Amino acid sequence: MSSRLLASPEFGKRPPVRFVQLGRLAFRVNIRVLLLIGISALALVALAAWALTLGSFRLPLADVLGALTGSGTDDANFIVLDLRLPRVLVALMIGPMLAMSGAIFQGLVRNPLVSPDIIGINAGAALFAVFWIVTGRSLQWLPIVAFIGAVVAAMSIYILSWQGNISAARLILVGIGMNAVFSAGTSLLIIRADINDASRAVLWQAGSVYASTWSDVRVLLTTLIILVPSGIGLMWALRVVQLGDMTARSVGMPLERTRLALILVGCGFSAVAVSIAGPIGFVALMIPHLARMIAGPIGGGVLVFAGILGALLVLGSDMIGQHALPVTLPVGVITAALGAPYFLFLLYRMNTQL
Amino acid sequence: MTRLQAENVTLAYSNNVAVVEELSLAIADGGVTSIIGPNGCGKSTLLRALARLMTPRGGTVILDGEAIHSQPTKEVAKRLCLMPQQPDAPESITVEDLTRRGRYPHQSMLQPPTRKDQIAIERALTLTNMVELRDRSVDELSGGQRQRAWISMALAQDTPLLLLDEPTTYLDIAHQQEVLELVEKLNQEDERTIVLVLHDINNAAQVSDRVVAMRAGKIIGEGSARAVLTPERLEEVFGVPCDTVLDPDSHRLISIPRSRIDTARKLPANPIGPPLTAEKLSSGYGKQRIVTEVDLAVPKGQITAIVGPNACGKSTLLRTFARLLAPMDGVAYLDEQPVQVGPHRDLAKRLTVLAQGAVSPAGVLVEDLVAVGRYPYQRWWRQWSDADQQVVDEAIDATGIDNLRWRPIETLSGGQRQRVWLALALAQETGTLLLDEPTTFLDIAHQIEVLDLVWELNRSEGRTVVMVLHDLGQASRYADFIVAMKDGRVVAAGTPEEVITERLVADVFSVRSKIGRDPQTGSPLVLPTRNQPVAVPAG
Repeated sequence: MSSRLLASPEFGKRPPVRFVQLGRLAFRVNIRVLLLIGISALALVALAAWALTLGSFRLPLADVLGALTGSGTDDANFIVLDLRLPRVLVALMIGPMLAMSGAIFQGLVRNPLVSPDIIGINAGAALFAVFWIVTGRSLQWLPIVAFIGAVVAAMSIYILSWQGNISAARLILVGIGMNAVFSAGTSLLIIRADINDASRAVLWQAGSVYASTWSDVRVLLTTLIILVPSGIGLMWALRVVQLGDMTARSVGMPLERTRLALILVGCGFSAVAVSIAGPIGFVALMIPHLARMIAGPIGGGVLVFAGILGALLVLGSDMIGQHALPVTLPVGVITAALGAPYFLFLLYRMNTQL
Repeated sequence: MTRLQAENVTLAYSNNVAVVEELSLAIADGGVTSIIGPNGCGKSTLLRALARLMTPRGGTVILDGEAIHSQPTKEVAKRLCLMPQQPDAPESITVEDLTRRGRYPHQSMLQPPTRKDQIAIERALTLTNMVELRDRSVDELSGGQRQRAWISMALAQDTPLLLLDEPTTYLDIAHQQEVLELVEKLNQEDERTIVLVLHDINNAAQVSDRVVAMRAGKIIGEGSARAVLTPERLEEVFGVPCDTVLDPDSHRLISIPRSRIDTARKLPANPIGPPLTAEKLSSGYGKQRIVTEVDLAVPKGQITAIVGPNACGKSTLLRTFARLLAPMDGVAYLDEQPVQVGPHRDLAKRLTVLAQGAVSPAGVLVEDLVAVGRYPYQRWWRQWSDADQQVVDEAIDATGIDNLRWRPIETLSGGQRQRVWLALALAQETGTLLLDEPTTFLDIAHQIEVLDLVWELNRSEGRTVVMVLHDLGQASRYADFIVAMKDGRVVAAGTPEEVITERLVADVFSVRSKIGRDPQTGSPLVLPTRNQPVAVPAG
């Protein structure tokens, strides 16, 4: 039964969609997507457990579970809860945020080439964050500052590419231009800054989940709790936005307001991720495609599925960068090295419509 | 003699499904050959292969006795030129510069333009009547002028063989006549061999020496226009029965596809559709006023067609009624309430518009697309209900797309897709339905199919329907009320019999014509008169 459900839906056949009603909530659920979410979530839990056993001091799984349930030895508790768990959790939450941000922006401008790292939204967040770091201010406000930077970047791109409507080509070109401007600003700040501040900023910019702390976990978790439900809710509208401005208006959608909401949620995801882990490339561009290739057109369920795939990629890449190679590499390097060829292979083989 | 021919060619795109299969065709020198056929029959693909733009999977295209693909592009381009459908112009290129590009195959990199180049450019501009517009930028031109600019570039290439893909689509009746007359002139005075892919069978009848009828990648009829464009053959090609009318002026037979509507059927006594009115309504884009001070009353529960030449403001007026554009002055009313006031969602429960430029994202299933019509009745926390499902099922039944319900939208033909969009509009359960050129891109059978469906939707419950139509004959046949526009103003409004007259067609479209009768419904039929009548072909 489940294997039949997991196969790609047959051409012209009814997909396994069920109508679900829970009190005031009522929606349609695609069982296949739900199943994909379940399986990938299980894989994620298994991968995370494995990640906790790895390190310079290998712990058996039983000790890890002991530490997690509060019955472990002091050593195991220290290694698992203080050193490894924050890093695993951060990697596990950064991935979904980048992937969902990419999915939202790609849907919004109906173009598969868009992602927050390409059109300058991450660069805007980075500029504001680096300014905050080099001026030596309190780091606890960094996520908020980065979010403001991302929104400023998104809004300036939007305004500069607006000509009665948004043409995707124009938006990408303006975005690439803004990306260059923001990156130049960031470089300028780092060059002019005090050497200690500058080195902190450079380290942050490398894009890594190294030295993650429980306060990072708290920030990411809060963001996910707020933004994931809004993201899923907005997918309902995004499905209409994708049919073109004319159709969206003719079914009575307040298009400008919906666009603004989508931009804010997309910026929120990418800005908070960037503020914690620095810019990690490729996840936001690639994972939404992968999710759509496997699970079908974007919707609430597919958004969640993309998130879990993002978590798998970032966590897996971090494990490879940390343990599998003779040298330790930042996660961003691995996501690009691992993801890009696989993505090209998929494009070549599947001949999918983008 | 034949310089250009296809021998057993098989053509396919990247998905390896053959679009054209083992087809052989010899293009007669010095003649006008038209290729006709339903959407997706492979006619444009064949034309691309004839022009060396596509490599056949099997067989050969032969130009002057040699396989076309073994000849260098530039040598081919000196003898043969293709004007593609909807070519892309670089932004703000002038007509003259565009025409100059046609000289490319005759020039080499280091050589300055010669006198011969200049003569060819002047001649191309003169023939297409573009001399006065030569310094204008292409993107400022109207549809008809733009089409002529592209033909001018093709002419400057100065090739004995000229291939034109759908040169009359998007054009109003006056511009169509202009292009067709130009084709005749090029053939008769310049002795060029011309191959056309045409949508409109009556255009094909008007200019062709030979007509090639295609269906599903094969030629199923070939011969003189008289021999091929018979009701029997047309039914075989398009799958729709046709009537014929004799054009008293040219003695040609005009083919009119038959519809399934029952014209005796009366409008419902208590229509659900409200009236639409405009009061001193002006609107446009940016600062440019396209519709100026229109006063109009669209009757409730009837079908209204808006007609007029390209760029007369008919789509703009429709969009203003649909609140897709804000009026610059005046008010548009739906059932005596201004459409501009109140939430968009509320308007979407009363009025829906099928606009041009809808996007069909890949992978979305037909039912999910139709379900979008329920958007105004839903909230993000209440995304679906049994009532929604019932309305969607009804809309799918009414439009006859039940067998397509679980197909991805991109696998549907143009006509099927248009029915899906109509089903989406129906699922909105509105009393008013606005349609912007619902038949563009469709072949005659699909055009009739869509218009019959619109007629049925009106006659069953009395929805108010307003549609922008290109074809005056179709407008007269299906509409109860016709609005004729010119230069942003309404110049006439009334029943088809009142509005569609020789005088009005001359005033509005600048075309001389005779008014005939639709063989099926008796409604007015516009038969354009040529400036130079040609001799009746024998046989």
